[in-house]
Amino acid sequence: MTAGGLILMVVSWATITALVVFCFGRIFRQKDGETEK
Amino acid sequence: MIIKQVMPAIRDTWGSRLAIIMAVAGSAIGLGNFLRFPVKAVANGGGAFMIPYFVSFLLLGLPLMWIEWTMGRYGGGFEHGTAPGIFHSLLRKNRFVKYFGVIGIFGPLVIFIYYTYIESWTLAYSVFALMGKYAGLADQASMQAFLRGFQGLEHNAHFSSMGWAYVFFLVTFFLNISVIYHGIRGGIERLCKVALPLLFACAIILLVRVLMLGTPSENFPERNIINGLGFMWNPDFSALKSAKVWLEAAGQIFFTLSVGIGVILTYASYLSRTDDVVLSGLTAAGTNELAEVILGGSIIIPAAFVFFGQGEMQAVASSGTFNLGFVTMPLVLNQLPWAGFFGFVWFLLLFLAGVTSSVSLAQPSIAFLEDEFDIDRKKAIVIFGSVAFLLCQPAVFLLGRGVLDELDFWGGTFFLVVFATIEVILFAWVFGMDKAWDEIHHGADLTLPKFYKWIIKYVTPLFLFFILGAWLWQEWGGIILMKKVTPECRPYIIATRLGLLAIFIVLCALVKIAWRRKRLHAEAKP
Repeated sequence: MTAGGLILMVVSWATITALVVFCFGRIFRQKDGETEK
Repeated sequence: MIIKQVMPAIRDTWGSRLAIIMAVAGSAIGLGNFLRFPVKAVANGGGAFMIPYFVSFLLLGLPLMWIEWTMGRYGGGFEHGTAPGIFHSLLRKNRFVKYFGVIGIFGPLVIFIYYTYIESWTLAYSVFALMGKYAGLADQASMQAFLRGFQGLEHNAHFSSMGWAYVFFLVTFFLNISVIYHGIRGGIERLCKVALPLLFACAIILLVRVLMLGTPSENFPERNIINGLGFMWNPDFSALKSAKVWLEAAGQIFFTLSVGIGVILTYASYLSRTDDVVLSGLTAAGTNELAEVILGGSIIIPAAFVFFGQGEMQAVASSGTFNLGFVTMPLVLNQLPWAGFFGFVWFLLLFLAGVTSSVSLAQPSIAFLEDEFDIDRKKAIVIFGSVAFLLCQPAVFLLGRGVLDELDFWGGTFFLVVFATIEVILFAWVFGMDKAWDEIHHGADLTLPKFYKWIIKYVTPLFLFFILGAWLWQEWGGIILMKKVTPECRPYIIATRLGLLAIFIVLCALVKIAWRRKRLHAEAKP
């Protein structure tokens, strides 16, 4: 595996993981907030 | 004329926000995530493919996702769950706009009638894996013969008829119908809550197993998992100069997100007016990408590389998605300890991906009967089930005559792009971008960057026109004139086209009847 391949794989995986964590993080934070109310 | 007084039934709703996100993600995550994406990436520049892929995701996939969620929620507010009614709600003065919406019922119905059959193969193979029915097969030719025998394309030592294929088709078809029978909350939502986590669990089990393959053969030290991942991800930046690669990336984003079908419109119509669509749409799209890029891109290609090596991989990757899933992958898994178990997990993964998509494909037709004809759900399902069952038969029995490919081209490819183009024009240009922007942000938990207003209005429609134009330029003539179809298959292809035209005309007539019925009903009211 070349360095370019490794970088593209890691960046793609990291971008998508960050997107999913951000989205579900926002949803669950709001859900907790609603429960507290 | 006596007009029957009908009380509109209370529309079903989603139990929670997570439920619709999982249902939309389940609809989007299909066989293509695990079979089509890795093949496209390998054939179009490896890691470099991710550049046009992500650009398409941002400029085409996400805008269409938000448009469909917003249009669906808007139409649901007028008790319309399918495109004819939703389009009519957006542009009440125009009598004809609802007929453009017929594509939003036609497309999913056509996909459903062949997709259910393919889905049944995955169920059958998961059982065959546990039974060890293909355990002794060690080369591509014998695994191909097994598949062709199962499909009834030839009689051989493995299968003497397509009896097993039909039995599994019946099981899959009635499983789909029974899920839909229980409604949005009791059926689709419950299925997705179980199936989606299970699907991710299956994919993670396979991913871990593939990553642990190391170097299985000492005779071929270059055939190791790192090189396998390299085969998938090593970039060929020269591919970015090719328009074809950009087109392939845009096409992959388009198909993987289930936009342009009409399913998201229907699912979003069960939201309430104050429910968020921006964050929910983004989450569903992100979940699909997780399944596609991280899981789908790391299982089949690296695993096949380790066992077949670079030389054979080019042939394997270009042999088509079905061969990759039903021939190559079982051969790879056959070489591992616990082959039956891992084969079962692989086909269960594909089955779960398939069933969460197929139930979503049935929903627009059912919602149309419920919302526009005030038919109760159970009757609507009996009508849909009977019609769909009959329509499935040509796809099942005429597989070798190219019927399935023809249905896939019209229902699953061409009309998707046409429908998405109509949606974006209607939403951004006819409904009006300012109103559309306000509608997107009604109840939103995230504010979109302002430049997305510009992207939705100009870039997304141009992108779609580009895809449509390129397809028409490259493929239209050949497909219409059936240049790749053998002379003995031509009558079947012509009959399929006439059948599709008949379905489309019947749906247009139903829309006309439904609206006339509503008008008469409104006039009869004191």
